[in-house]
Amino acid sequence: MDELATYAENTWCPGCGNFAILGALKDAIRRLEGEGIARDKLRLVTGIGQHGKIFDYVNVSGFYALHGRAVATAQGMKLADPDLRIMVFVGDGDTLGEGLEHVLFAAKRNADITVVVHDNGVYALTTGQYAPTSVRGYRGPSTPTGSVEEPLRPLPLLLQAGATFVARGFAGRREQLTDMLVQAVLHPGFSFIDVLQPCVTFNNTWQLYNGLVEPIAQPASSYDEAMALARRSDRLPIGVLYRADVQPFHQALYGDRNPVRDRLSREERLDGIARLLQVERRAPSLPSLSPRAALEMAMPAHEQAASASQ
Amino acid sequence: MAVDPVGRGLFTFLVGGKAGEGVKKAGSVASSLFADMGRHVCQMDDYQSLIRGGHNFSVVSTAVGPISSHYMQAQFAVSLDDRSFGLHRDHLAPDGVMVYNSDTTSPPDGDGRAFGLPITAEAKKYPRPELRVGVAAPAALCAALGLDKAYLRSLIEREYRRDLENNIPYAESIYDLAYAQFGGRYALRAGAASRQPIMDGAQAIALGAIAAGLDLYFAYPMTPSSSLLHFLASHAKEFGIVVEHPENEIAVANMAIGAAAAGARAMCGSSGGGLALMEEAFSLAGMAEVPILYFLGSRPGPSTGLPTYTSQGDLRFALNQGHGEFPRIVASPGSIEDGYYLTAEMLSLVWLFQTPGILLSEKHFTEGTMSVDLATDAAAWAEPLLSADGDYRRYRDTATGISPLPAAPEGQVVKWSSYEHDERGITTEEPLLTTKMVDKRLRKQAGIVEVLKRLNCTNRYEFGNGNAPVILTYGSTTLSVLEAVRAGGIEATVVQPRYLEPLPVWDLEQYQGRPLVVVEMSASGQFANLLAEKAGLRPRAVIRRYDGRPFDPVELAQAIKGAL
Repeated sequence: MDELATYAENTWCPGCGNFAILGALKDAIRRLEGEGIARDKLRLVTGIGQHGKIFDYVNVSGFYALHGRAVATAQGMKLADPDLRIMVFVGDGDTLGEGLEHVLFAAKRNADITVVVHDNGVYALTTGQYAPTSVRGYRGPSTPTGSVEEPLRPLPLLLQAGATFVARGFAGRREQLTDMLVQAVLHPGFSFIDVLQPCVTFNNTWQLYNGLVEPIAQPASSYDEAMALARRSDRLPIGVLYRADVQPFHQALYGDRNPVRDRLSREERLDGIARLLQVERRAPSLPSLSPRAALEMAMPAHEQAASASQ
Repeated sequence: MAVDPVGRGLFTFLVGGKAGEGVKKAGSVASSLFADMGRHVCQMDDYQSLIRGGHNFSVVSTAVGPISSHYMQAQFAVSLDDRSFGLHRDHLAPDGVMVYNSDTTSPPDGDGRAFGLPITAEAKKYPRPELRVGVAAPAALCAALGLDKAYLRSLIEREYRRDLENNIPYAESIYDLAYAQFGGRYALRAGAASRQPIMDGAQAIALGAIAAGLDLYFAYPMTPSSSLLHFLASHAKEFGIVVEHPENEIAVANMAIGAAAAGARAMCGSSGGGLALMEEAFSLAGMAEVPILYFLGSRPGPSTGLPTYTSQGDLRFALNQGHGEFPRIVASPGSIEDGYYLTAEMLSLVWLFQTPGILLSEKHFTEGTMSVDLATDAAAWAEPLLSADGDYRRYRDTATGISPLPAAPEGQVVKWSSYEHDERGITTEEPLLTTKMVDKRLRKQAGIVEVLKRLNCTNRYEFGNGNAPVILTYGSTTLSVLEAVRAGGIEATVVQPRYLEPLPVWDLEQYQGRPLVVVEMSASGQFANLLAEKAGLRPRAVIRRYDGRPFDPVELAQAIKGAL
C-alpha cells in the first residue's frame, strides 16, 4: 500500500512524463524524511494544468493555487512559516507564460522554495495549444499554421534572474530526478528544476529527448560555465547546472524568527499601540461584543460543529 | 452663514506652495500646535501626483471640542509662492490674514488682509533654501497667535528634528518679521487640559490590524493606499510583523493568501486599479475559504484617474469583487477611530468565517488627519474556529458552513484548493458533491448576517428631536456630513452603515417613509442605488461630489438645507 497515495483517480494519459515526476516526488519525500524533513513540514503548491493534478495524487498538505500564481502563493506560505519546505509544481505555460513575473522575482529575491516545471512545451489540459517553450512552427488549435515565435529558454533566464540552484531533469531519468528534488529542497534558497516532460498526446518528445539528453556529474564551477551549459542546444545537459550559497530571502528580511510562531501577544500589541500614540490603554465605554461571541450567541458551539450532511 | 453656531472657537489655517517645499509638513506642525493647546484638529492635504513643483496645500481647522472636517475658509493663510496667493485669496475669511511671499508676489493693492514676508530671501541665508520655506508657515502662525519664541523653538525641535541649527534661526527671523506686522492678532481659547493624539486614517487602519493580530502585510505602491504600506513598514519591527512589497498586485494577493493558509493573519491593500489585478485571487479566497482582508483605498477613476484625490466611486466594484458565488464582507469606517475598531472587527470576521473581506475607504480618510479619542482595548482579536478532530477534513461540511482549522496541524493533511473539491480538498466535478460544497460555502452568509445583527452595524447621530429628516451617508463622507450639520445648525438624523455587504437592512428599513437625503462621492449615486435596491429607501435628493475634492462643510450644509 502506497501511504503517499490518495483516493483520487489518476487521469494522466498512459505514457505521460508526469508519472515519472510523481514517482520521483514520492521517492524524494521518503528520502527527505531520512534527512530529517518531516512529511508534515512539506507543502505542495501547484498551478493549473495537467501538472497540477499531482496535488490530488499525493497525500501531503498544500495549496492547489491559481494558474500562473503558485510561485507567489508558495512564497507567501514560506514568509509566514519559514519552517516549511515548499515544493511548487508548475507547468511551462502556467509559470513561464501566465505567471512569469513571479518566478523571475522569486529567483531575484532568492525565495527559499523549490520550483519544478513540468516542461512539456504544450498546453495539454486545454487541448494542445502552443506554449512558451514550444518550438517555432508548432501547430496547435490556436496556431493552425504553426507558431511564428521562438521558444523561451527557461534555464538561462532563471540564471540571469538570480536563481541559486538551477537544474534540468528528464522524465526518462526518474532516479536522477529524485536526487535533484532532494537536493533542491535541501538547498537554502531558490531552486529551479526544468523537467523535460513528454506529452504523449500533443507533443511526444520521448524519442527526441532520449537522443539529446546528456547527464552531467556535478554543477558547473562558475556562473559563466553554467550559463554556457544552459544555452547548449546541440545536446541537453541534465543534472544540477549551478548552485550558489546566498542568504535566503526570508532570513535577509527578518532573520531567524518565525513571524507567526513568535508573534506578539494581544497584550503586547495593545501596549505598543498605546506607547506609540502616547495614550493610556483604555477599554471601550460600552462593552462591545466580539464577532466570536456573537457567533456563540447565534449558534452554540456544539451546533456549529454539527455535520450538515446528517 | 454662521459656521460656528455653538461657539467652538473655530479657526482655520491654510498653507499653500509647491511640492517639495514642505507644505504638508507645515500643516502637520500646525495641527500639532493646536493639539498642544488641547484643541481638536482636522487636517486635509491637497497634493498632486508629482514630486516637485505644481501646487500643494494643507488646511487645518481647529475647534474646542470635536471637529470632523476642514473648512475651506481660512482665518490665517500662508502662501509660499505666487500661485498659492492667487488661488487661496478667495478662501480668506473677511477678518482673515494672508501672508504672501514678498520675494515672489508683488504687494496687492488695497487688501488690508495681506502681509508680505521675505520667505525666500530669509531662506537663502541657509543651505538648500527651497526645502526650508515651509518652516515659515508655522513660524508666522506662532506670531499670529501670540505664542512666544521659546514655544516656537520647542515646536520646531520636536516636529522637524533634523537640520535644527538652520531651521530654528530661520523660524525665529520669520517670527520676528511676522510679529511686527500681525503679532498676537488671534487669541485662541485653549481646550481640554490633556493633549489628544492626532492620527490619519491609514494609521488607524494599520493599528487596528495590528491590534487584531496582523502578522504579514503585502502591498504594491498605489496612492492612496501606500500610506498604509509605509506606516506598517516603518513600524514592522516594533510590532514583530512582516511587510512585503513584491513585483505586482497579483503577487500581493496570492502571497497574502498563501501566508494566510500557512496560519498568518495576512492583509493586502491597494487602490482601484491594483484591486482589479487582485480580483482573481479574491475569488480564490472565496473558493479555497482563505481568511483574507483586502484594503481598498479609493481615488477617482476609472483607470489611472486622479491619483491623489478622493472618491467613493468603487462601492459597486467592492461589493461585486470576484467571479463566481461566495460570501464576502465589505465595510467602510466613518471615523478615524472606527478605522481602528472596524479593521480589527473585519480581520476577526474573515478569520471566523474563512472568506474574503474588503475594508473600503477613500483618500480623504487614509490621508485625512484628526484628533482621536481611542479606546485601544476595544479592538477585536482575529482567531479561527479550531478542530481537534483526529480525522481532519479541511472542508468539513458543518451546520454553519465553517470548517474549523486544525488545532494541531502536525500529522494532519490540510489541502487548500482553487478547484471545486470534496471535504478533504481533493478535486471533484461530481454534480451532487458540487452542490453540497457550494451550499456549504454559501451557508456562511446566513451566519455572517446573524453575527452582524449582534454587532453595531449602523451609526446613528441625532441632531434634533429624533423625528427630523434623515441624512444617509457612509465612509469618510460621514465626517463631512457631521461637520456640515454642526456648521449649519441642521436638525437631522445622520445614519451611517458601517457594513455594506451584507448591508444591515435590519437597521435601515425603519427609515422608509422618512424624508431622506443621501450624501456620497459618486457621480452615479452608487450608495443611493444600493439603499434603494436592498433597503427600499428612496431619497428626495442625492448630494454628490465627484471632482476628487472632499466636501466643504459650509457648502455641504447649504446643499443639505436646499434638499430638505
